[in-house]
Amino acid sequence: MLKRFAGWTLSGPATFLVVLCLVLPVTATIAATFGSAKGPWALYQAFFESGFRQRVLWRTLEIALITTVVSVVIGFFTAYVVSRAPPRWRSVLIILAVFPLLTGVVVRSFAWLIVLGRNGIANNFFVWLGLEGAPYPMLYTQGSVIIAMIYLFVPLMVLTLVGVLENIPDDVIEAAASLGATQSAIFRQIIFPLAVPGLIVGAVLVFTGSFTSYATPQLLGGDRQMTMGTLLHQRAMVAFDWDGAATVAAIMVVVTLAIVLAMTRIARRLNPMAT
Amino acid sequence: MTATAPLSLANLTAHYGATKVLDDLSLEVGAGELVSLLGASGCGKTTTLRLIAGFLAPTRGSIRLGDTDLTALPAHKRNIGLVFQNYALFPHLSVLDNVAFGLKQRGIATSEREARARRMLDRVGLSALADRLPGALSGGQRQRVALARALVIEPPLLMFDEPLSNLDAKLRIDMRVEIRQLQRANGTTSVFVTHDQEEAFSISDRVAIMDAGRIRQLDTPEVLYQRPANAFVARFVGFENLIDLRVTARDGARVTAEGAGGATVTLDQDQLGAIPDRFVLATRPDGLRVATGETGLPCTLGLRTYLGRAYHYQAETPVGPVTASGPLSQPLEPGGTAWLAPDPEQCCILPPEPA
Amino acid sequence: MIRRLSPPLIVFAILVYLFLLGPLVIVIGAALSDTTYLTFPPQGLSLRWFEKIFEMSAFRRTIVTSLQIAFASTTLALLIGIPAAYALNRYRIVLPSWLSTLFVLPVLVPEIVLGFSLLRSVQVGAGVPVLIALLLGHTLIVLPYCVRVISASLASFDFSIEEAAISLGSPPAKTFFTIVLPNVRSGVIAAFILAFITSINDVSVSLFLTGPGISTLPIQILAHVEQFFDPVVASVSVLLMLLTVAVMVVVERTLGLTFLAK
Repeated sequence: MLKRFAGWTLSGPATFLVVLCLVLPVTATIAATFGSAKGPWALYQAFFESGFRQRVLWRTLEIALITTVVSVVIGFFTAYVVSRAPPRWRSVLIILAVFPLLTGVVVRSFAWLIVLGRNGIANNFFVWLGLEGAPYPMLYTQGSVIIAMIYLFVPLMVLTLVGVLENIPDDVIEAAASLGATQSAIFRQIIFPLAVPGLIVGAVLVFTGSFTSYATPQLLGGDRQMTMGTLLHQRAMVAFDWDGAATVAAIMVVVTLAIVLAMTRIARRLNPMAT
Repeated sequence: MTATAPLSLANLTAHYGATKVLDDLSLEVGAGELVSLLGASGCGKTTTLRLIAGFLAPTRGSIRLGDTDLTALPAHKRNIGLVFQNYALFPHLSVLDNVAFGLKQRGIATSEREARARRMLDRVGLSALADRLPGALSGGQRQRVALARALVIEPPLLMFDEPLSNLDAKLRIDMRVEIRQLQRANGTTSVFVTHDQEEAFSISDRVAIMDAGRIRQLDTPEVLYQRPANAFVARFVGFENLIDLRVTARDGARVTAEGAGGATVTLDQDQLGAIPDRFVLATRPDGLRVATGETGLPCTLGLRTYLGRAYHYQAETPVGPVTASGPLSQPLEPGGTAWLAPDPEQCCILPPEPA
Repeated sequence: MIRRLSPPLIVFAILVYLFLLGPLVIVIGAALSDTTYLTFPPQGLSLRWFEKIFEMSAFRRTIVTSLQIAFASTTLALLIGIPAAYALNRYRIVLPSWLSTLFVLPVLVPEIVLGFSLLRSVQVGAGVPVLIALLLGHTLIVLPYCVRVISASLASFDFSIEEAAISLGSPPAKTFFTIVLPNVRSGVIAAFILAFITSINDVSVSLFLTGPGISTLPIQILAHVEQFFDPVVASVSVLLMLLTVAVMVVVERTLGLTFLAK
C-alpha cells in the first residue's frame, strides 16, 4: 500500500506531463478528424479523393521504403566490418558513425544542398568533366530526398547492428569454424540469421523515421516533392486547414503504428531464439 | 569405427601481444588416449586448446595430428570435434540442425546427414528433443547436444574446454562418466581442459599439470597423486606440508634427517625410495600424525578443526607451520605440546627447491 | 579468433564512411569560402561568415533560445524522469506495466504529429505562452531518453545496497542522494547529454511551437535557407558540429568512449 503510494508519487509528475501534453492532445487531434459536419469519414474521403494528397502518401511510402532497404543493406555490411575490425579501429569507426548521428538533421540535410546544388561539388565535377548539359538540376527531386534520407539513417543502422553483431558470442562462431564452416558459410548460416531480429528493429526505426520526417524533404524536396511531413506543415501553417492537417497526422499515426505492429509480429516469427 | 590419430605438440610458444602465455610446450597424446590439461586459470591450458583448434596462431612450434601438420591449417579445415564451456550451440537452429551442421559443411546430402544426426542424438539420449531449439533445453541437455555435434563429424581428435563447469555437482559426475564412455567406445584421441583436479583424475589416461605456460608434470593420475615430481605439483595434489631436510645419518635403509631449528626425523628408504642428502619431505595433513610419544617433530598445537574422519591441527614446529592430523578418539587441546610422525603412505620425497 | 575480412568488404566500408563524412567536410569547406554563395571547394579562405552569424540578430537570438530551451527542458526532464525511472525499477511489482510504455510514447508517436497536437491543444487551445509550450514540447521529447537511460542504469543497480544503507540508519530520501544517485551517475550524465543534443537539434516539434520573435536555431536555419543561399548557414552548421565534438569530448572524459558504442 505504502509502496504503491510511493511508486505513484515518484512517477506522478512524468505521468502527468505525458498524459496532459501528449496523450490528450494527440487523441484530440485524431478525434477531430471524425468531427466533420459532413460525417465521420468525410475528411478521409476528401484526402483520398484528392489525387495530389494521394500522390503525397504514395511518394512518402516509396521514399521510406527505398530508404529503409538501402540503409539496411549498407548498414548491415558496414556494421559487419566494424564489428570484426581490430579493437582500435573499431572504436574509431564507431566514433565516426556517432558523430553524424549527434549532428542534427538540419545540418546533415543542408550538407546535401551544397553537394547537389547548382554550384555544388557534384555539378562542379560534372562541368569539369565536360559532361553535356551540366550543371544538372539535382535538387528538389525524389532522388535528392532519398539520398539525404539514406545519409541520415545509415549511421543509426550501423550502430544498431554493431550492437547486435557483437552480441553473437565468439564461441558460437568458433564452434561453426571447428565444424568445418568457411568464412562465408559462417556469415550466411550463423551471423546473418542471428542478426535478423536486429535488422528488423533497425528497419522499423528507419521506416518510421523517414516516413514522418520533415526537415530533409523540406530542404531537398521543397514543394515539388511534398511528403506527409511537409504536407502536414503546409496544411497547418500555410493553408491554416487544421482539419486537413489533423487528417494527415492521423494517417501518419495509423501507418506508423501498422508498420511497427506488423514488423514486430514478423520479427517474432523470424526470431530464431523464440521458442 | 572412427578415425583416430596421435596428437603431437612440439615446442609451442604463444604470445598475447607482448605477454608470453605458452612457453616451449611439447606434448604427445597417443591414439585413443584422453589427456587432461589441468591448472588454475591463466596457466595456458585454454591457450593450448585454442592453438590446437586453430583459433590462435603459435609464435613458434608445430602441431601435428597423425600425418597431418595442422600448424598452418585454418580452423575450419582441422576436423577437430570441440566441446565448449558455454556449449556454443547455434541458438537459431534446432537440436537436429545443430548436430547436422558439421555434416552440412562437408557437403553431405540432407537425408543422410539427418539420419546420422538422429543416430548420434539417439546415442546421447536426446532423440525426443530433435526439433527443439537450444533455448528450450536444460544445461545437461545442451551439453549432450554439444557433445553429439562434436562427435557426429567423426573427428580424429576431440577437445573439451571445461565442458562441465556450468553443470551442477550431480550432473557433472554423470556427464563425465558419459563422456568417458563415449570417448572409449569411439577410441577418439581426446584433450580435456579443466581446473578441477577430481574431474581430471577421474576421466583421464594421463594428466598434464600446467603452470605459467608450461607443463609441470605429465603422468597417470596415480603417479601424480602419489609421487609428484616437484613442489608445484605436490602442493597442487594436496601435499600441504613441504619440509626442507638434510641427511645427518644413514643406517641401512633408515635415514635420519635434520631440518631448521635442529628438529630431526627418521625415514625409511624402503618405503619412500632413495633419499638424497638434501631433500624436501612433502606430506598431506593426513601424512603427519599427532602423537604424544615424544618421538618425531616437536610442535605446539594450534587451531583444531573437525573433519568427520579425523581432526586437523594447525601446528607450529621448528621447521615452520604445518597442518597435521590426529585421531577422533583423542582430541588434543590447542596450546599443548605434541610430536608429529610422518606416515610414509602419505609422504613423498622431492628434490630440494632451487634457492 | 583469427578475424579476417574480405578486401571487397573493407573497400565497401571505406566508401560508406566517405559517404558519411564527406558531406560534413564539404560543409566546413563551404563555411570558409570567401564567396557570397555556397560553393565547394571554397574559393578564398575567410572567417567572415562566422562573424556574420553574430551580426545577424535572428541567429544570435535563436542560438540563445535554443540553448536556454535545451538546458531547461533537459533539467526538467531529469527532475521528473529520475524519480519515474526509480519508481519503475523499485516498485515494479505494484505499478502497472503500461506505465513504462507511457514514457516511451513520445518516441513512438511521430514527432511532427506531436508538434501539431501541442500547437492545437496546448498553445492555441489552452493559451499557453509560446516559450512555455516550447519548453513543454521539448521536455516531452527528451523525457524518454532520460527515463530509458536511467532505468537501464538502475536495472543493474543492486537495491540491497540501498537497503543496507537504510538498515545502517540512513533515512530513505538521504539514501537516494548519497547511495543510489552516485551509483547511476554515468546514466544521468548520458541521459543529460542525449537529451540536450536531442533538444538542440529538434525540428519537428519546434516547427509548430515557435512564434513571432521566438524561434530555435534549427527553425531559423530552415527559414534562412529558404531565402538565402549564402555560407552563413554553413558556418552555423560548423558551430553545431563543434558542439557535437564538445559533447563527445565530455562523454569521453566522463564515461569513456566505449560508452558511445552502446
